[in-house]
Amino acid sequence: MSNLELNLSQFSPVMQTPLQHFNLSAKQEKMTDAKGVWAHEMALLGYIHLRGNAQNKDFLTAVKKATGVDLPTAACSISVASAITMLNLSPDEWMLICPREQRAGLQKKLEAALTGIHSQVLDSSGGYTSVWLQGKQATDALQHCTVYNLHALTPNKVVGTTFGKASVIIYRLDNGFCLVLRRSFADYIWRYLARAAAPYGLGIAAL
Amino acid sequence: MNSNNRIKHQHSRVDLTKPLNFSFNGKSYIGYQGDTLASALLANGVKVMARSFKYGRPRGIVGAWAEEPNCLVQIDVGAKTTPDLKATQVELYEGLVAGRTSGWPSLAFDLKSIGGHFSRFMPAGFYYKTFKWPAQFWPLYEHIIRRAAGYGSSPIEADVETYDHKHHHTDVLVVGGGATGLLAALLAGRSGASVILLDDQSELGGYLLSSPNTTIGGKSAIEWRDNVITELQSLPNVQMLTRTTAFGLHDMNMIQAVELLQDHLPHNQRKPAQRRERLHRIRASKVVLATGAFERPLVFGHNDVPGVMTVSAIATYFNRYGVACGQHALILTSNDGAYQAVADLAAGGLQVTLADVRTEINPAWDARFKQLGIDVYLGFGISEVFGKTTVTGARLSKLNPTNAMQEMLAQGVKLRVINQIDVACDIVASSGGLSPTVHLFCHDGGRPTWSDESLAFVVSANSRANAGIYCVGAVTGVFGLQAGLEKAVETTNEMLNSLGKNSTASKLNLTTNEIARSPAQAIYRIPTNKKAFVDFQNDVAVTDIELAVRENFKSIEHIKRYTALGFGTDQGKLSNVNGFAISAEFLGKTIPQVGTTTYRPAYTPVSFGALAGAHVNDTFEPRRYTAMQPSHEKYEAEFETVGNWMRPWYFPKTSENMHSEDMHAAVNRECLAARNSVAMLDASTLGKIDIQGRDVREFLNRVYSNAWSQLAPGKCRYGLMLNEAGMVMDDGVTACITDTHFLMTTTTGGAANVLNWLEKWHQTEWPELEVYMTSVTDHWATAALVGPKSREVLAKLCNDIDLSPINLSPDAFKFMDWRDGTVAGVPARIFRISFSGELAYEINVDASYGNYVWEELMQAGASFDITPYGTETMHVLRAEKGFIIVGQETDGSVTPLDLDMAWAVSLKKPFSFIGKRSLARSDTVRTDRKQLVGLLTEDPTIVLKEGAQIINSSNILPPVPMFGHVTSSYYSAFLGRSIALALVTDGLKRRDDPANNTIYAWAEGKAVKATIVSPVFVDAEGARHNV
Repeated sequence: MSNLELNLSQFSPVMQTPLQHFNLSAKQEKMTDAKGVWAHEMALLGYIHLRGNAQNKDFLTAVKKATGVDLPTAACSISVASAITMLNLSPDEWMLICPREQRAGLQKKLEAALTGIHSQVLDSSGGYTSVWLQGKQATDALQHCTVYNLHALTPNKVVGTTFGKASVIIYRLDNGFCLVLRRSFADYIWRYLARAAAPYGLGIAAL
Repeated sequence: MNSNNRIKHQHSRVDLTKPLNFSFNGKSYIGYQGDTLASALLANGVKVMARSFKYGRPRGIVGAWAEEPNCLVQIDVGAKTTPDLKATQVELYEGLVAGRTSGWPSLAFDLKSIGGHFSRFMPAGFYYKTFKWPAQFWPLYEHIIRRAAGYGSSPIEADVETYDHKHHHTDVLVVGGGATGLLAALLAGRSGASVILLDDQSELGGYLLSSPNTTIGGKSAIEWRDNVITELQSLPNVQMLTRTTAFGLHDMNMIQAVELLQDHLPHNQRKPAQRRERLHRIRASKVVLATGAFERPLVFGHNDVPGVMTVSAIATYFNRYGVACGQHALILTSNDGAYQAVADLAAGGLQVTLADVRTEINPAWDARFKQLGIDVYLGFGISEVFGKTTVTGARLSKLNPTNAMQEMLAQGVKLRVINQIDVACDIVASSGGLSPTVHLFCHDGGRPTWSDESLAFVVSANSRANAGIYCVGAVTGVFGLQAGLEKAVETTNEMLNSLGKNSTASKLNLTTNEIARSPAQAIYRIPTNKKAFVDFQNDVAVTDIELAVRENFKSIEHIKRYTALGFGTDQGKLSNVNGFAISAEFLGKTIPQVGTTTYRPAYTPVSFGALAGAHVNDTFEPRRYTAMQPSHEKYEAEFETVGNWMRPWYFPKTSENMHSEDMHAAVNRECLAARNSVAMLDASTLGKIDIQGRDVREFLNRVYSNAWSQLAPGKCRYGLMLNEAGMVMDDGVTACITDTHFLMTTTTGGAANVLNWLEKWHQTEWPELEVYMTSVTDHWATAALVGPKSREVLAKLCNDIDLSPINLSPDAFKFMDWRDGTVAGVPARIFRISFSGELAYEINVDASYGNYVWEELMQAGASFDITPYGTETMHVLRAEKGFIIVGQETDGSVTPLDLDMAWAVSLKKPFSFIGKRSLARSDTVRTDRKQLVGLLTEDPTIVLKEGAQIINSSNILPPVPMFGHVTSSYYSAFLGRSIALALVTDGLKRRDDPANNTIYAWAEGKAVKATIVSPVFVDAEGARHNV
């Protein structure tokens, strides 16, 4: 089959976030006190799943070598470096979130450093999106969505928990929450969140 | 009738400067801000607000809170209408529209009241006994009885209101905002603990609001309350919720409470974005129940005439709402608890007559009553109330003065009436003591105990401290305010210590002006020969209980069900304890021997809306979408739900004259496109699990029935997953990426279960195997490009994979191979696998590019009329090839051998695999099990019903032996006839025996003749995909 003359430059691939159809970027506005909850999709980030044995020093050293950051080994802890956020999801499972364009390089470095060490490094970038949430009533809005004790979710902690009838990963920073959603559930979770936040006023934040 | 009973006094919580218009039964009235519907109607002199359930007797308001049995009203109209709210719990607002829920055809004339005159013919069990025959008439009887019984109308339009749930975690939850609840919350708040305080009323304070002449620490009860609330508001760790009813206490101290957010507001002040109700789900380390008590009325003759109330209710309407329910009140009591109200009413200008069943009176009260000009009758009870639609008077009868009634009965002495006095009055109120609100304490298994001292079923302050449940105030049987407050400090401190916290009662002077209480008398009913009601809502009279006992009902749970005592929307809050006591009397037992019925959630009725919360409309269930959803919508797919996924079902084409294809036309077209040209299916929903590690082959050997040791990198293999019983639980294609890296696919619905299953076996049974597995279902979007022209379509977008036909190139991309490459400029992993039997490529890309790549494929295929297809066509194509669907051809009782898939079972693997042992059971090795076969109907136009029974003869006279059922059945456009798959007993042997391969498939009264054949209807040799 003579398909070898195909000119690849004729293609211009386009990425879509799972929240594309809500057209959130067009609704962005400057944050004010008029609304209690502000949300912002951090679209099209890079996501890497990492599994390994936290008791294995070689594993930890290799990850540190590849990322420059200590892997957060305490339950529900996170590490935030300039470009990489690492979430401890379970005793042997982490999610690394980085700018999309850094994902391939980071994954290569991890795979190289972890050669010969029992581990799993996976690109999950197509499978997730993140929604940033802040505002005076962000906690109230989330209390409608999850049974988790959000007051126990102090800054720099992460938890995988319920969200309506689905689940999300939530991590907290000093000024707000970040929800990490699975692509296929994103429509449901956004609708649920928007509904929960409605009584407090929901704005799409221009960050 | 006096039409304005409103009085002005400084303690009233009603704002007389803010009048509100409202209507009841179509008539307009004026009430004031702060009123309930009940207080406003009483102020307007409305007496009859309901008709009773069984006898249609006129009924008025009895209580002031959740215990009200009679005045169930219909609030609002249209989609917003709510039936059976208690008028005592409805806050008045401008424009409120209320109506009766009983009285048929009208409140003034109720047909059943004719029955009332014959009430001796309608005893307990009347309906059971009367409408039993003939049985087929019961639906008619029931319709008429229910209509006559009343109870409001449900809205017939969709609810326009919204509701939500909110989850809380707190150190301390205090239920009840009365004196002791406020105090407990304050102490807990001062300790720094996180505190939630709930109260069902519009404002905190509980009975303090009804008792303004009481003082605490030298200040009026109201001022004390205000100060406590002010301090609570200043504490950031304290959250107070009013209009919030805790209706259920569940295991581990999970309390459900419903908050009414907007029902108290006029329509034009309700915010569209705000919820009507909010269900709070509160998980509390410690629960303090300060739920108080309801006053228990005494039972006497004609005690249901409108105008007969409880003393606490009359005091509440007077003090809290500024409503005198009448001009001359006759008050009957068995305890000192009613005395303050008596004094308040008299001091407020009412003419008051007091009857006390006891023969002695506390001299301090006696002096006050004399001063206030109150007539006092000691040792008297009310034997009969006069009046029909309103109280006109009552007959006082002297009770035997020598002994308490209980003791008399124990000695077998009949009580005698000595003499009688008739009193003219327009209001009668009684108090038989208090019944603690023990409901929440009992919801998760706690039981109340009878206290002879309190004459009530009470709960202990700390007997359930181990479970984190503490009780303060009247619910514990401590009815005095001073004692209640003191004990509450003690209990709250004990609770706080258990949290490792301390509090201080500083600046809290808890001394009250209460007069010490004399012992109450144990009495529940006054002897009478008139009808005396125990339960108003269900029209249960003393005689009904007596009859139930006479008919040998001995357990209180049975007496309850026979008489209906304690059923209904009030759940017997007013009536239960009287019912228990009167049952005890007739049973010749003590009250604790009789015990209580069971207290179950909900404490008060909860709307379905609140329970549903956000789980309605587009947030009812998660809808999972693939990355290609925008394209599916563009091509106007019809969707079907698979698991939670929204999958295109079929893509109906709309012709020029706007005629849209039906499913059969669309599916026929889609099937032919896949077989003759090219078509495309969104296969993104299949579960995908990435498995890596040194031992991944061994792991797969153990979880699949087939062998994985030899599968080379670059190759794929179909696998069957069995459960321990040897039954098929999932299937899918798994690819070997490298020797230590495999990608497993699962069924769409089985993905999450399979991942859990794999993790469970790895973590619990084989932790020594070095494997990690992670779901990548959402990461990959998958387009299955299917059909003879699929190669040409793909070639337009991909130049880095050798797509040559296999007979032209030794390196060609073969069936059951996979390749990494680039499709439309996007990195892709392509599997040459086929669920249709055609040449096919399953193209996997990062889901962010899924819609883009799908659209590029559609464009590239345009010249071949590429046809998107959905799950229905997928089903037909796979059935034509005899490919199973787990859950359709299997039902948890089907082994691989039953499916004629012995090729997918490797019994030679060195380590066992899950299910292997079960395949050797005597039952699973039987050769005449139900087995998967194909069916061809004699008439090719008939499509069998899925689920049709397989029988051997067209004779369907029972008994008919059954030999299996049709699992899948379709019309095959490609074959031009119907096809079906079935599980048939001994099917494999019968398939190959022309003398025995005829069956009949029976469904819906028809037996259709068919022949058992191979399940592979198309291309048994595989020529179509091996190209």
